[in-house]
Amino acid sequence: MTERPGTLNRHRLADLGVLVILAALVVLYCVDSVQASRSIYNLIFVLPVGILVLLLCAGQFVMGVRTLREEGEQPEPITDVLPVILLFAGYVLSLHWLGFDVGTIVFIGSFLWLHGERRLPWLAAYAISFGILVALFFSMMLPYPMPMLILGSAY
Amino acid sequence: MNLVDPAAFQAALGMLFSDASPWLIVVPGIVIGLVFGAIPGLQISMAMAIFLPMTLYMDFMQAMLFLTAIFTGGGFGGSIPAILMNIPGTSSAIATAFDGYPMSRKGRHNTALGIALGASCIGVIVGYSLLLLLINPLSEVVLRIGPAEMTVVILWGITLIGGLSSGSLLKGLISGLAGLLVGTIGYSEAGVTRGTFGSPYLLDGVPAIPAMIGMFAASELFRLVNSDYLVADSAARKVSVAKILAGFRSAIGYPWIVLRGSLIGVFVGSIPGVGSSVANLLSYMATKRKHEDPDSFGNGNPSGVVASEAANSTSEAGSMATLLALGIPGGGATAVMLAAFSMHNITGGPQFIREETDVVYAIILANFGQAFLLIVLGLLFIPLLANVIKVPMNYLVPSVLSLAIFGAFGLTGDLSGPITVLIFSVIGFIFKRFGLSVPAAVIGILLGGMAEDSMIYLHQISGGQWTYLLERPMALIILALLAASLFGSKIVSMLTRRARA
Repeated sequence: MTERPGTLNRHRLADLGVLVILAALVVLYCVDSVQASRSIYNLIFVLPVGILVLLLCAGQFVMGVRTLREEGEQPEPITDVLPVILLFAGYVLSLHWLGFDVGTIVFIGSFLWLHGERRLPWLAAYAISFGILVALFFSMMLPYPMPMLILGSAY
Repeated sequence: MNLVDPAAFQAALGMLFSDASPWLIVVPGIVIGLVFGAIPGLQISMAMAIFLPMTLYMDFMQAMLFLTAIFTGGGFGGSIPAILMNIPGTSSAIATAFDGYPMSRKGRHNTALGIALGASCIGVIVGYSLLLLLINPLSEVVLRIGPAEMTVVILWGITLIGGLSSGSLLKGLISGLAGLLVGTIGYSEAGVTRGTFGSPYLLDGVPAIPAMIGMFAASELFRLVNSDYLVADSAARKVSVAKILAGFRSAIGYPWIVLRGSLIGVFVGSIPGVGSSVANLLSYMATKRKHEDPDSFGNGNPSGVVASEAANSTSEAGSMATLLALGIPGGGATAVMLAAFSMHNITGGPQFIREETDVVYAIILANFGQAFLLIVLGLLFIPLLANVIKVPMNYLVPSVLSLAIFGAFGLTGDLSGPITVLIFSVIGFIFKRFGLSVPAAVIGILLGGMAEDSMIYLHQISGGQWTYLLERPMALIILALLAASLFGSKIVSMLTRRARA
């Protein structure tokens, strides 16, 4: 998919937005570092590198503004990726309550359903066997307890 | 002066071949390394730490053989997910993914895996041969490396990868330098916390390996959710032992790339902490620059895989040189080996090399044997592991994402690891979408803390006098190389234009 020449290229506009956010985060980090301590050992690396990043962002921003109306390729829409990212976020953030065993089973099952797997026995068998086997393997290998709902964190 | 002590060499051969017992633990060691290296999220150092207690029941020689076998197996194992899924198992396999993964997507996964195995095995042999000859002079060179050299090597690495892995040098540098800043979050040398914004999870900094897993693995898997398989063409998905063998044999056809990569691997790999992460990039960059078709790099050129694998497998020998000669661990894996040293009441260093030369030679010689065993075990395991290419993406994506989350928990011991994977997977996805360099950012995160420490030590040693750099010829040479990699091609094209005018 391409955009017509002469109109604002939305992807390039978003590109500039990402640069601005990155620069803002760098400023925030540098300000936080200065507020934490003005000691030379605290700032000797962070401040010069931060300033360099800001200068490079400014240079890239100017170049980006110049090409804002140029024709260009548009990347794939993110509508297909967004549900996966949200599902992944739900999986990670629910591990504390669901544990690695049930959390993984639910995540794998939901992902398969979302991506068109409708053979329920097969979906359930894969999600449950993968979730339990991997949770058992890691809980036996790791020297600290893992949050688990049904397998118990004593493994 | 003899580079190799013949009496100690003979004694070492006797230690290794008088009976089969030293070799009995090498095979399981290599298999453990292969498995841990090949599973995204598991680390070689983790494997070595888990199996370290077992070495208590072995003598020192056997313990070292077992641990170096895990190291050797893991060194190659890390390239398997890099080639098949664009997920470098370790930071030293980053450059392997640059061309290995495009080869896989074109259905040349068998060849790529064979080439990686061949280059790794040749690299181990060349690397340890160099180590056998150069362990004494190398340790003297390593002793001369100070914070000035460390700082410029890190900056050089960031510059190289920034220019390599992104379409725009400017964006590559922004990514690498931003990564360096992320690597400094947490407690600083001044005893204050920065950039934690009140989160206790960030006091020790951003967990670097989970961040790497998130940026490489998870973000790449997000991009693949709409694909049916890693390789679109069903005919190309076949796992062919013949093609793996052909790929393995073809690695012999790149002797200069292997030799250059091995030299870079041994010398850069011996720099504590920095070595293995930077060596593969330097070797890749040097090969790309010398190649007749540099534009083919990043699109599946086998030379890129050879360059990276030769360097990362020899950087193992480099880091072993630092450990044996100076008693300084260069990274997580050699730190575990140092623990094995102390468990057996042995201290590495010049005295150890002088008094236990036969043991040092035996460790080096055993690695030649390990390289040959790796060929056999690698050829047995690759066809099994390469079957991942046949798994439909709707099964592969959630399974690998889950493994990454388990691995991240294993690295941090709490939920900060999985949360880091989540956050950095989104950041990695955004970076890839807008042409920022994920490898440069990852190397920055890995080396940020070390770069800051080196800068502080440099300031302390020099008393704030930057003229101190003029007294460090090695640092000046690396600085000149850094400038050449930034401006070299522009200056050359400018001079060529002037000459034509």
